[in-house]
Amino acid sequence: MRLRRLAAIVFLVATIALAFPVLAPAGAPTELVIADSQSGANFQAYWQKYVIPAVKQSLGVNLKYLVSSDAEQIQKTKAWKPGQGDVHILFPKSIATWVSSGVPLETLTTSNVPNSAKIDPKFLKSDEGVDLQGKAVLYWRTSYALIHNSQYIKNPPKSWKEFYDRRAEFKGHIGLIRPDAKSSSAWRQRLVFLHAFLKEKMTLPMEQLAKDPAFQDAWNKLKDFTTYAKLPLASEPPNLFEDFNAGDTWIALYAQDYSLWSARQGTMPPTIRATYPEEGADEIGTGYLAVPANISPEYKEVALKVVNYLLSDDQQIRLITTMWQYPGTEITDQVPAIAWEMVPKLDVLTKTAIPRERVRKDMIDYIKGHAKELIP
Amino acid sequence: MTAFWHAHKSTLTTFLLLLPALIGFFGLFCYPMLLTIVLSFRPEGQTVGWTVENYTRFLADPDGQWVILLTFILSLGATALSVLLSVPLALILREKVSGHRFYRLMVIIPLVIPGLIGALGLLLFWGPRGWFNLFLLQVVPFVQRPVAVNYTIHGLIMFYVWLYFPYTCVTTMSALESLDRSIEEAGAVSGADRWQVLRYIVLPLITPGILAGSVLTFMAAFGAFSVPLIAGGNYRPLAVEIYKEISIPIPAHWSAASAIAMVMGVLQVGFLALYMRFVRRGGSAGGVQ
Repeated sequence: MRLRRLAAIVFLVATIALAFPVLAPAGAPTELVIADSQSGANFQAYWQKYVIPAVKQSLGVNLKYLVSSDAEQIQKTKAWKPGQGDVHILFPKSIATWVSSGVPLETLTTSNVPNSAKIDPKFLKSDEGVDLQGKAVLYWRTSYALIHNSQYIKNPPKSWKEFYDRRAEFKGHIGLIRPDAKSSSAWRQRLVFLHAFLKEKMTLPMEQLAKDPAFQDAWNKLKDFTTYAKLPLASEPPNLFEDFNAGDTWIALYAQDYSLWSARQGTMPPTIRATYPEEGADEIGTGYLAVPANISPEYKEVALKVVNYLLSDDQQIRLITTMWQYPGTEITDQVPAIAWEMVPKLDVLTKTAIPRERVRKDMIDYIKGHAKELIP
Repeated sequence: MTAFWHAHKSTLTTFLLLLPALIGFFGLFCYPMLLTIVLSFRPEGQTVGWTVENYTRFLADPDGQWVILLTFILSLGATALSVLLSVPLALILREKVSGHRFYRLMVIIPLVIPGLIGALGLLLFWGPRGWFNLFLLQVVPFVQRPVAVNYTIHGLIMFYVWLYFPYTCVTTMSALESLDRSIEEAGAVSGADRWQVLRYIVLPLITPGILAGSVLTFMAAFGAFSVPLIAGGNYRPLAVEIYKEISIPIPAHWSAASAIAMVMGVLQVGFLALYMRFVRRGGSAGGVQ
């Protein structure tokens, strides 16, 4: 009898416990997932070490940082459930993919994300030719740069032309990734070099451009320049870093943020510095924050608070002082002056940036297709 | 139905027990293999039609021939060195020298370290400013400049040996430790010196163990990917070539990659068949003479 009564009480308690989440009024969620399908190891470490604790302290929200892919997140968001992705870090092209895949994104304005008022409005309208329609807010900007070891190079080249003319000075110490490597730096290093000698001609159709004497000249210069590189060419970026550490490589075009972050982590020499050649080092890469429109209202409210916090001055300044990425908001005047000893100011970057339309797929394919010619 | 079950109970039970394994075998091995074979004969980027161009282009290309030769040089070099390293090491560890358990653990360490991490560590160690060269430059008087190890064929073979020699070493140690010591004692009592005991008794008896281990080392070295990708420089064996065909061009050259994979598979299986034949002969010819 006593056993039966005990069983009845256990059953009752279990039923109430199971029913409670349904019956209880829904409170604001304290755990949110931010999905990042764009960043590398540096950003993953940065989030774990700095952003997540700061969000917890300031908003009382436990952020989970999820490394993912666009395709996976699009599928998950179509049938959104808590814990699958409430805030997303996306490239402009990804935003277009999301929208065209039928995944609605919340329109972000100064009323739901007040700090977005500090972003240059042109970035809220369109980027990389994508009509953003306010579906995302700019979080960071970055670029490749001429990374050099100031221990060996006191007077880095100010332009690609100067770099090419002074190539004998750096013979055996120029870092180039193999043109058939997986890393995008494999084609990016070559494309930027070619652009310096071709500039406006980079807009010509590839078939026409390939026959142009100016292109042939630039291509021959590139082949010649490659023979002055540290040989064998680095298989992938870790080899390039190792060559920098060994003192074999003194200068290379590579991602500014990752290189300088690595120097701080001790995986690159501490004397690494970045400069921008006057013909450009890269297009300016941009990372955006977006919130799916179809998530539940209480999650959306917290997600928007998190986005707003990530655009706060404190977080945006930390982006450059810790990650060497330029802020998405216009707060350059608040950045500590010491940061500009490591990286050029954003206006220098903006002036020299290669127009996006010149970073072309057919040119990338041409470089990959002729990779053999570029391996001494 | 019940009658059918009772009549074939044993056969059906066996079939049901085997079913998960069969699904796994066909799904995870036969299907991908069949797909690779079909793709290797498809014109690039096409889903219909047949061609042998993917094979002829690779095999007729001097670069393709060099890649095959390089793969054999690296894997055979690594296998031979692994045997040369494993036998003396196994003989020493067999004597239970001081700290032998630690050394045994050290032998298998490369097996548990991911290839990519191992390759990066080796590059740092053997680099121009790595410990090896720092030691040589500071201690050996006639060494004036760093010795080139990274991104060379001999360096790559050394890296392979470090990564894959445990397969040979572990089987050699196992064969040696299962050897009855009384046989060696009988040889010694009959007047054989230590060298003769080793040459005519021990080595022939452990040869099958050495060869079995060296097969594993060869196979692993033949299919090596992460080490040559990171530490190979311009020396890129078959596995890296396959990866290159898939990861670099857009769209990926799946047919070309499949053809190279088939060439690699055929060479590997063919060489393995020859090797096993040699092992069987060696095994039957081995023993106390």
